[in-house]
Amino acid sequence: MLVLTRRRGEGVTIGPTIRVVVLGIKGGQIRLGIEAPPAVEIHRDEVYARIQEENQSAACTGVVPLDAFRRLLRTGRRSIA
Amino acid sequence: MKFLSTRFGTLEVSDGSILTFPSGILGFPDWTRYVILDHDTDAPFKWLHCVEESGLAFVILDPALFDANYRVEISAEVLAEVKGTAGDALTLAVILTIPSEDPGRITANLRGPLLMNPSTKLCKQIVLSDEYPSRYPIFSMPSVRRSVQTESRSEAIPA
Repeated sequence: MLVLTRRRGEGVTIGPTIRVVVLGIKGGQIRLGIEAPPAVEIHRDEVYARIQEENQSAACTGVVPLDAFRRLLRTGRRSIA
Repeated sequence: MKFLSTRFGTLEVSDGSILTFPSGILGFPDWTRYVILDHDTDAPFKWLHCVEESGLAFVILDPALFDANYRVEISAEVLAEVKGTAGDALTLAVILTIPSEDPGRITANLRGPLLMNPSTKLCKQIVLSDEYPSRYPIFSMPSVRRSVQTESRSEAIPA
């Protein structure tokens, strides 16, 4: 990992189109400003990680419990009538 | 084409049914080509099965079946990735997580829905903000009862 020290108001440029600026520092938190082309997706790490994790769990499904599905849906239908 | 599935054995699908996720599904960036397997059952789920990796498959569901109000805003960039235009009828699916020890506790990932463009066969997993739960319990919600009956369609709204 490349490590750089920056002060408030300073930034780094990544490639020809992406710029990250330190907007402010308060307590343990740092506010970052990011300029990037719209096609570059930017997300907080944890949001991405959460979905990745959920995808990994979902991919472990072996067999769908068809009976449970049917039973639960039937229960739903019955309660309408 | 023929492909091997660790769950279902050797399967044959038409080339035209292949869906492409140019950026892959999150956590599985190396695999981009999938097919949807329909089941001859009355259960509403389908399998999204990778044709490149025999063990990679997800159970997916039309979110309108359990939440008629689920709406997702599609940015212009996402729309461009599936080569869609504002008038296209795009479809949404959500991935289900089915715990083997308690199948009744099935959850749907509403934070990372799959956007599909049926006309270009291009798809993308969208990342939504954390107001959408990644583990939404689909069978414990009262809305299941209503939406099973209405058969409403989920909508993907181009922004």
